[in-house]
Amino acid sequence: MKKFLVVLQYELKEYVRNKSFVITTLLFAILGSAALFLPRVIDMSGFLGTQTPSQEEAPDQSQSEEADKETMLLYDQAGVMDSEVLDAVFPDAQWESVTDMETITSRIEKQEADAAFVVKSEKEYDYYVFNKGMYDQDKSLFETALGMSLRKAYCEANGLDFTQLESKVYPSFTANEQVLGKDTTSNYWYCYILVILVFMLIVFYGQMIAVAVTNEKSNRSIEVLVTTTTPNSLLFGKVIAGAIASLCQVGIILGAVLLSYQANRSLWGGMLDMVFNIPAEVLISFAFFGLGGYLFYAFLYGAMGALVSKTEDISKSSGGLMMVVMIVYFIALLQLTNVDGIAMKVLSFLPISSYSAMFVRIAMGTVNTWEIIVSFVILVASIFGAGILGAKIYRMGTLRYGNPIKLTAALKDLKKSE
Amino acid sequence: MKLEVKELRKSFGDTEILHGVSFAVESGRALGLLGRNGAGKTTTMRIIMDVFRPNSGEILIDGNNFVPSRFKIGYLPEERGLYPKRTVIDQMMYLARLRGLSTAQARAGAKKWLKRLEVEEYENRKLETLSKGNQQKVQMAATLVCDPDIVILDEPFSGLDPVNSQILKDVVSELIADGRLVIFSSHQMSYVEEFCDNIAIINHGEVVLSGYLKDIKKDYGKDRLILSAENYTLTKLREKLADSMADLVELDRQKKEFLVLRLKGKATKSQLLDRLMASDIDIEHFGIYEPSLNDIFVAKVGEEE
Repeated sequence: MKKFLVVLQYELKEYVRNKSFVITTLLFAILGSAALFLPRVIDMSGFLGTQTPSQEEAPDQSQSEEADKETMLLYDQAGVMDSEVLDAVFPDAQWESVTDMETITSRIEKQEADAAFVVKSEKEYDYYVFNKGMYDQDKSLFETALGMSLRKAYCEANGLDFTQLESKVYPSFTANEQVLGKDTTSNYWYCYILVILVFMLIVFYGQMIAVAVTNEKSNRSIEVLVTTTTPNSLLFGKVIAGAIASLCQVGIILGAVLLSYQANRSLWGGMLDMVFNIPAEVLISFAFFGLGGYLFYAFLYGAMGALVSKTEDISKSSGGLMMVVMIVYFIALLQLTNVDGIAMKVLSFLPISSYSAMFVRIAMGTVNTWEIIVSFVILVASIFGAGILGAKIYRMGTLRYGNPIKLTAALKDLKKSE
Repeated sequence: MKLEVKELRKSFGDTEILHGVSFAVESGRALGLLGRNGAGKTTTMRIIMDVFRPNSGEILIDGNNFVPSRFKIGYLPEERGLYPKRTVIDQMMYLARLRGLSTAQARAGAKKWLKRLEVEEYENRKLETLSKGNQQKVQMAATLVCDPDIVILDEPFSGLDPVNSQILKDVVSELIADGRLVIFSSHQMSYVEEFCDNIAIINHGEVVLSGYLKDIKKDYGKDRLILSAENYTLTKLREKLADSMADLVELDRQKKEFLVLRLKGKATKSQLLDRLMASDIDIEHFGIYEPSLNDIFVAKVGEEE
């Protein structure tokens, strides 16, 4: 244990002294915080849909709002569109009527207008836009406006009360939502982000640990080390140091970002709650399962590092492991919309995937306490198993320089030696 | 302390590398492991250090099983290696602490040995910035940082210039005088002769000669004499002896400065001297032959390295 602590201390010191590690940590923390302080220094109300105090006091507010409105062109060949309806359906648009196609194409191409509609008949229209956005809703809004205009014209022609008809055909409802379980919609985004985060932790830091182990073979210090202390002390010390360093790095960056968001939450209008306002139980389950999964893979990456003696060969030995991590990552992301499905249930008990699958089930699905306990016990046992196996491979690979050792060959040799 | 290596056998795959290696060494003495490249010296040392496990055989310390982790051992492996990107003092302290020293003891030990090996000015430098020779001295300092009771050095002089070799020779001499148990391998026979009371010559995985160096030399010098003449070249002298004294001596070997002769049967040194005095040979050198370790090594192992 004492020697493990010596290795841990030495390896940790190296992370702290590593300038690029420290600079990266500070840089990301500062950039993340700075981004969340932006609403304090620049006007983002258009993007956020909020008002800054200065805006509320501004005398030329109405002029400014007018200037911010989108310019929309209408060529109503069928003469069916009602301008009042258009203004009601498109409150952020300023409509201009045109009478020829050339004006439409010319102004759209010059980007003097944001979009244009040519109504050819009651049932046909053309839509013109320069660049169509991913979430462009103008067409569906225009169809709503066209339908309303037609119904209004019909009511006027037949002596009916348009407002009354609309209220009966399209009644408005007041819905009070009471989610007694979990709100998948609001949990989705931070689960998504945390799954990506743990994936990046495993791949990035796992690779760093593999490189650290391989370096000891390539600089030949491994023979001195294994004759000085046990392989368990060396590998566990190295991996736990990597885990602590990575958690500190991620913790500092996340902490800075979360605190900055809390300080500016009102200015953001709660817009990023779905990302940053993570419930404590989700964070706790992420801490346990995320850290567990990370340690599990970190030991395996350490073992993969011991199978090669040149850092450029690491990809050869860790390629299979990387594939497993990637598959788990994609399945977890694809199954985020079906967290109570059989695939997620199975994955949540496997040590290779429980770090994301069980965490997602806890955050978004229905899971029994016994399932969480069993999954965590399996994960912890697997971490120790991976650690001991990793240390044995590390020891076995000590003086085997040259070509990379295949994992199957290493396991056979281990079995033989025992 | 007495370390005994008994009947070590080791195979890699189907090839047996060591075929029953045995030797012994005590505290305050040094054992020189000699052998050609690939003879099995490094493998033997690695088995002692538990880097490899033997297929059979045992290693005893004072009659009990030897477990390296229970002793303070300084091991300088053949494959030198420390951390090139880390400072000298940091990695020395790290290795010292891994061997059970406190932080203060580790710092004191590191400074002591860096000073003794005359590399103390580099303690805060990264290892990779040092010359090869200084890196080697740092490695030696790291080997000795815990003041080990047992010192195992695999080719400690390789890569050192004569000045650094002298520093290292002095250090090894001090370790022996200080009562440490020292095992080292070297191709430089003069160093082995200087330090080692005991030698073990390994050839093709077998100990072909072992024991006290003085006894071995005495045994090899038995019945052998050296002779050179003022008035004969060595070649002419050989011919002269073959013609006139073949009943007393035969040629053992011809060295650069003299001939080494072996007395035949019951012939004595006095008889040979009388015959030489009676001949026209003007004696330049006549005496008892003391073989060098190199001579013994070549005689045992074969061609000169």
